[in-house]
Amino acid sequence: MSLKLNNLGRRIDDRWILRHLDLEIQNGECLALVGASGCGKSTTLRIIAGLDQADEGSISIDGIDVTSTAAVDRKVGMVFQSYALFPHLSVAANLELGLKVRGVAPSERQQRVRQILQLVQLEERASQKPAQLSGGQRQRVALARALLRDPMVYLLDEPMSNLDAQLREELRPELRRLVLRDQKPVVYVTHDQHEAMAIADRIAVLRDGQIEQVANPIELYKHPASLYVAEFIGRPQINVLPPEQGVIKAIRPEALKLQAGGIACELLHREWLGASQIWQLKSHLGPLRMLVGSDQTVPESIQVSWAPEQEHRFNARSGKRLAA
Amino acid sequence: MKTPTRRLLIVLLLSWSLGPLLWQLYTSFSTNEALITPFANIDHRWTLNHYKDVLTGNPPFWRYLINSLIVGAGSTILTLCIATPAAYAITRSRGTITKVVQTMLIVAALFPYVLLFLALLEVARSLHLGNHLLALTIPYAALSQPLAILLLSAAFRDLPIDLEDAARLEGLGLWSRLRWVLIPLIAPATASTAILVFLFAWNEYPIALTWLSDSSLLTLPVAMARIAGSSIYSVPYGAYAAATVLGSIPLIALVLIFQKSIVSGLTSGAVKG
Repeated sequence: MSLKLNNLGRRIDDRWILRHLDLEIQNGECLALVGASGCGKSTTLRIIAGLDQADEGSISIDGIDVTSTAAVDRKVGMVFQSYALFPHLSVAANLELGLKVRGVAPSERQQRVRQILQLVQLEERASQKPAQLSGGQRQRVALARALLRDPMVYLLDEPMSNLDAQLREELRPELRRLVLRDQKPVVYVTHDQHEAMAIADRIAVLRDGQIEQVANPIELYKHPASLYVAEFIGRPQINVLPPEQGVIKAIRPEALKLQAGGIACELLHREWLGASQIWQLKSHLGPLRMLVGSDQTVPESIQVSWAPEQEHRFNARSGKRLAA
Repeated sequence: MKTPTRRLLIVLLLSWSLGPLLWQLYTSFSTNEALITPFANIDHRWTLNHYKDVLTGNPPFWRYLINSLIVGAGSTILTLCIATPAAYAITRSRGTITKVVQTMLIVAALFPYVLLFLALLEVARSLHLGNHLLALTIPYAALSQPLAILLLSAAFRDLPIDLEDAARLEGLGLWSRLRWVLIPLIAPATASTAILVFLFAWNEYPIALTWLSDSSLLTLPVAMARIAGSSIYSVPYGAYAAATVLGSIPLIALVLIFQKSIVSGLTSGAVKG
């Protein structure tokens, strides 16, 4: 029982904006689709929802092919980046509209709306219009609407990008709990690698309409399949050294250590993160970022090195990971 | 701009637009003597006789008011019933045909309809539409289509596409989406379109003049022209002014009623936090 994307492709005129996409998302699993803007992640989501048509490949939910099922009949619960709440309807009416159209009896409708409002802690807002709610509250209404759909699949399109950083952090576990409550596949689109790492069980990195790597967050961080993934995942960003004999080496900022006899560097800038600090260094290998503890003082002369097993090695031409 | 200057400007603008109206109001309540010799000392300066004359004429003036209301309301409803789905279709479909249709609509909206009126008269004659009040709604609705479709499709286009997508995912079919989401959201545009169509039907003269001859079926403009031209020796200013005032009341009432739904900002808060 799962959501399965099979060789999915989408073309605009002659250009493929999505190609050869294979993914399987299990029930109760949250998969994050990440990538730079225009990489095809939102398109993928819209194709799963039925709002956009695939030019190639197929989609099946619980083993049933839904590739040509209309969006109206597809039973997906989607949370839009803009929330897309109906502005002329109250919170309760927003939630009730779908149930009404789908033929649920009035008494049952009211009961279910009440229950779901309780779940997202918005009972006292039932009669207000979306414009009267805060961003976080709107997001919860949008989520409640998706939950009420009894969907086979949950699709979340940058659901937190309009919220401030603190609220995002607060809502993340809550969102995960609610959306995984009924053990359905969840696809979470975000451009924020940090958010993806925090919320997802697995992450698929998309680049130019193709999957670069699918793995769990740790695997993605520790064994990036390509230079692109290595650079995309992890902040501060990985240090990429100049290519040498067709090989590009990359080292995570926390893997750099101060060591006598290492590469001589000059400190350009110091950034405090709280528990740690980032040193922006200049070396003959180019700029380097180094993550050090906040107690670390700056020595007379900075010399850095790293353990060889901390090196990520990539083919300079293809960007693919080389076996250690 | 400084406050006194702005006040002065507002006063000037108001007198510019309200002045003729107030003049008509004054004329309608003045006796004929007062109108002819405005500065003379006359005993009977004010009168309700013009209204009495107009309202007790044969047929009484309220008959024309009702005729115009019927034609105006009928035309407005018919126009919106056709223009709303058309506007939605134009906004949602893509391709060259849609572009051609849109261009043609603009051309049609700019076309002086008076040029069509002889042809329309022929149509009315062959289809026996003469002297039917509701038959007037057919040319009126047809002539209003281009403008109505353009206004309504602009309103549909302004709606965030996410809203319709969300409705679709909620299981709302085309009709439900229009009924519960899209049409309520373009209500301000619909209201302004309705007023424009109603005004057109209310004021339209040449078609009404030629299609209707039965004096109990006349619409306001035609009836008023008859009052103004009832005597070749004198223009009955008082009666004419009274008719103008009576004819304006429904329009003013209409704008006051719709004012609330014309206010913009209904869609604010739909999108973003």
